[in-house]
Amino acid sequence: MNPNDLISAARKQGRTALDEFTGKQLLASFGIRVPASAVINSAEEAAAAFTKLTPPLALKIMSPDILHKSDAGGVKVNLKTAAEAADAVRRMMNVPALSDARIDGFLLEEMAPAGQEVVVGAVRDLQFGPLVMVGLGGIFVEVLADVAFRICPITPLDAREMLAELKGAAVLNGARGRKPASQDAIVDVLLKIGGEGGLLMRHADDFKEADINPLIVSESGAVAVDARFVLS
Amino acid sequence: MSAQEIIDYYAPLFMPKTVAVVGASTKSTGLPNIFIRRIREFGFEGAIYPIHPSAAEIDGLPAYRTLADTPQPIDYAYIAVSAAQIPAMLAAAAGRVRFAQVISSGFGEVDAGKDLQQQLAAAARAGGMRLLGPNCLGIYTPRGKVTFTEIGPREVGTVGVVSQSGGLGTDIVRRGMSRGLKFSGLVTVGNCADLGANDMLEFYLADPQTKVIGLYIETAQDGRRLFEILRAAQARKPVVMLKGGRTRQGLAAAVSHTGSLAGDDRAWVALSRQTGCILIDTLDEFVDALLVFQTLAPRAQRPTRRVVLFGNGGGASVLATDYYARLGLDVTPFSQTIVDALAALQLPPGTSITNPVDCPVGTLRQEDGRVAETILDVIYASAEPEALVMHLNLAAFVGRTKPEVLDNLVQAALRVQAHYPGKAHFVLVLRSDDEPELMARRRDFRAKAVALGVPVYDELSNAGHALAVLQTHERFVLTRSGA
Repeated sequence: MNPNDLISAARKQGRTALDEFTGKQLLASFGIRVPASAVINSAEEAAAAFTKLTPPLALKIMSPDILHKSDAGGVKVNLKTAAEAADAVRRMMNVPALSDARIDGFLLEEMAPAGQEVVVGAVRDLQFGPLVMVGLGGIFVEVLADVAFRICPITPLDAREMLAELKGAAVLNGARGRKPASQDAIVDVLLKIGGEGGLLMRHADDFKEADINPLIVSESGAVAVDARFVLS
Repeated sequence: MSAQEIIDYYAPLFMPKTVAVVGASTKSTGLPNIFIRRIREFGFEGAIYPIHPSAAEIDGLPAYRTLADTPQPIDYAYIAVSAAQIPAMLAAAAGRVRFAQVISSGFGEVDAGKDLQQQLAAAARAGGMRLLGPNCLGIYTPRGKVTFTEIGPREVGTVGVVSQSGGLGTDIVRRGMSRGLKFSGLVTVGNCADLGANDMLEFYLADPQTKVIGLYIETAQDGRRLFEILRAAQARKPVVMLKGGRTRQGLAAAVSHTGSLAGDDRAWVALSRQTGCILIDTLDEFVDALLVFQTLAPRAQRPTRRVVLFGNGGGASVLATDYYARLGLDVTPFSQTIVDALAALQLPPGTSITNPVDCPVGTLRQEDGRVAETILDVIYASAEPEALVMHLNLAAFVGRTKPEVLDNLVQAALRVQAHYPGKAHFVLVLRSDDEPELMARRRDFRAKAVALGVPVYDELSNAGHALAVLQTHERFVLTRSGA
């Protein structure tokens, strides 16, 4: 589906946000890498879908009622066999916190290779229109609020300056013996989200807020592992 | 509009030939009467048309019944009567007025006046006139010899300002004047029912007389257009922005991380980083920043970083060195070659000849102060700073030297810096207390220095902040020049 169809379908269903699968389709349509995945509705479908994907896989619940999936027990990672995947679906269906929620299905997807967690976000400012944000994942964003904003559209130089502005920028170069994260890959995602002709410029009025959290960035590329788009 | 079209479009505002004043009375007490007196004293050479329902004459000028009755069409109308009657007044003057500035309040700034403000804007639009205000104080335009302020520089300068606050506009003209600013114009735009800060920004960007632009903004009328104008301008003229209301004031309830992290301020910081406009927090720093751009030509190829401090400071020099380092300026000690060159001058004991170059009064009074010329010559010839700050604590000379020593020091400084054009930004800091005689001397030194393109600051910290602002601008232009 093209981006406009994805968004209008979600509106027709009365949703206030895109589900994770739709959000990732939207990102993919702008050229951002997302994990290969399948939406399934039962343990049997999980086992069947497993064969088309490359393990290890992650299983995530899709529900408009659940904002923090992992806190609610709605995420299971490192599934290595079809039997493990099927079993994980059965167990998740029986978690009390999840069994009361409206469930759209489950997302079974390939796990991204290890890398630096980065957050790319967007918010619609009342005076300036869409803003794009970047920060490093984990405590950098959640505790230190170490983030940089720009007004869209941004240029490649703006994107590089956003990264340089982060207090934790050195982490991207591979601090403390870790492998460096590709700044080119982050810049590329920032431009596809916030650049000229990017997602936010094309859909300035559709979204109130958006997060890619995390974007997992390795030495060679970046994968959007979770995505949330709040409709305006 | 092209730049020339913009300049022509606003010419009747900045250089009006005919000015109408609505609200002046025969008793000569109100603001409109004061405005008439002020523009006459300021040397306005065009026609002034007082508008009055019955009087034949106001302040010695023939009065007219309405804006439609004047002998010539009106370039600029100053309107200060009760709010309710103004929309109809503008409607009746359709086609007769180019720019109408409504001083009166009682419009959009109060809930009860919101409708009236819309009627006002509609009447102006229908009447083919552009509106400034309402709820503002006026315009100060030395090239047109029109002013709403009691005092202000008569000379046309290069600093163009637009202010959403009238009171602050007065402060900027008066305080700016006392620090040596000279303006290409200052417009108070109040509620911005029609023309606003964005329009004036476009004018100043096009106006060849304007070298640096200052904005006081509380709310962006159209933030998107502000962003686009500034982005297109790429800081080809420095834009200094004093932003009121930068504290967090609720974007719509935030659900995601990004929403909760995006205080209002973030957008303004982003605007500044992307467009090179410089965000300033206080009135004093605003005036200081405008002064640095009025006097010094930015050098993008060599952004300001290394600074030499020279003067009688002691602890003040040490504090300044720390403060400058925090601002990203670098007061690095001289290399041995430069120290040797200064040592060869055989200055009296107590003189520090590394950077900062710290000279007690005992040193500076050598040769009745002409020693400064020798010291500065060595610094210019051997060191390569981007900026040289000479500071004098005026009070320390009192009772210890002949009065002309200070004159000689300042003269020496102005002479030497002129010998090395383009080598280093030269800044003078004249420190003093409120003692009247010292204040008078500082005023005199300041006027001489600023006229020669040397900015003068009251404290080392002010000079440091202004140089840091200059650095920010130079760096922005440098990083964008290859793009």
